[in-house]
Amino acid sequence: MTFEINGQEHTLDIPADITALEVIRSLLGLTGTKEGCGIGECGACTIVVDGKSVNSCLMLGAQLDGTKVLTVEGLATEASLAPLQEQFMKNHGVQCGFCTPGILMSTHALLEENPDPDTEEISKALAGNLCRCTGYQQIFASVKAAATASRDDRITGGKNG
Amino acid sequence: MADFKYIRPDNLPEALDFLWDNGQDTAIIAGGTDVMIDVKSGKLDKKYLLDISRLDELKGIELNGRDLCVGSGVTLSEIYTSALLASNALALQKSAVNFAARQIRNIATIGGNVAHSSPCGDTVPSLLLHDAIALVADKKGIQHIPMEQMATSAYMSSLTPQQIIVKFILTPYQDGYADFQKIGRRKELAISRMSMAAFVKKDSTGRISFLKLALGACTPVPCSMGAVEAFLTGKVPTRELLWEAGGLLAERMIEITGNRSSTIYKKPAVQGLFMRILFPMVGS
Repeated sequence: MTFEINGQEHTLDIPADITALEVIRSLLGLTGTKEGCGIGECGACTIVVDGKSVNSCLMLGAQLDGTKVLTVEGLATEASLAPLQEQFMKNHGVQCGFCTPGILMSTHALLEENPDPDTEEISKALAGNLCRCTGYQQIFASVKAAATASRDDRITGGKNG
Repeated sequence: MADFKYIRPDNLPEALDFLWDNGQDTAIIAGGTDVMIDVKSGKLDKKYLLDISRLDELKGIELNGRDLCVGSGVTLSEIYTSALLASNALALQKSAVNFAARQIRNIATIGGNVAHSSPCGDTVPSLLLHDAIALVADKKGIQHIPMEQMATSAYMSSLTPQQIIVKFILTPYQDGYADFQKIGRRKELAISRMSMAAFVKKDSTGRISFLKLALGACTPVPCSMGAVEAFLTGKVPTRELLWEAGGLLAERMIEITGNRSSTIYKKPAVQGLFMRILFPMVGS
């Protein structure tokens, strides 16, 4: 199968019975994506496939064929973190960090679709991502700050970026 | 992990051909949110996994005259965001609102929800509400199966191993009041313990002229509640009348399930859920 991950095309021969998460972590060595519950409840394994957030633990590896995938490794550039990641740092949206890659990917998909979400929309989009450390308030603050930063960025043409 | 071959046909006839010869040895995967649990636990004892998630014939939501057609491959997210469903099948659209979480809604399909035949399939009460008929295909032809006959018991569908659900044909409802609500352990990401869908129309005198009601999750198979529909039709809804109707609904549920240890909790819950859904009809 052939698919694109973080802008790089890969052609792989994979067993039929492995998940998208195993393809990403074990075959491609991209271990930023985590496995939590393994049954689609915790969201730690969230990736973005063709613009949509999905639980990679519940996706068959073979179903990645022909898709464009973004994982947490694809957010930052060599030179700097993505604005979204910066805001999670600034607003203490990260504690132990295990849920963070999944939350970043759900947030990324949300902001692509809705650049200015209110608290309820953020809560709805992140309902499938469990965090047992932060109590979510700092996460919501981080997402709001990221939305505001990217809005200001659009207004000033990237000068604050 | 299981030992099977992955097959992805390019079109529906190819998929039906494959099933005609190998149906007994094949599991079907669309979104995969149920099947993958079995794949991962090694419980999938089939030779083939047939991926129908990319078949164009199973996609799309459209209104053709009096037929509202929803493809079996339509995802819960597509149901959630469909303006056509919001105006013609609001209860179905609402059933997608709190369906698992966004990551699941983005890939889980309505066809999978129905074929899996879980008692707590959230789309089923709304499909019953709209007198939905499943258009089911195998290599030899097409069959129309009313939703009441789709599941024979919990987790048992009436589909043969050679069949695929192509789409659901719903009766559209406009200009009325519709709702779907459920009770689970938390607001989001919860499996329904009890779910209910209703559509109500009132005439100019305030009487209920048309009522459809369906109950899910607390009976082995979700079911329409004709007795409650008949009881309320032609009457002006008051708080007392609705409470009585909710009691009747609870009695109907107990007739189906028998008295269980949970009945003492479920009886007031079903009555309460019914009140919560129907109460906006009082005096409005």
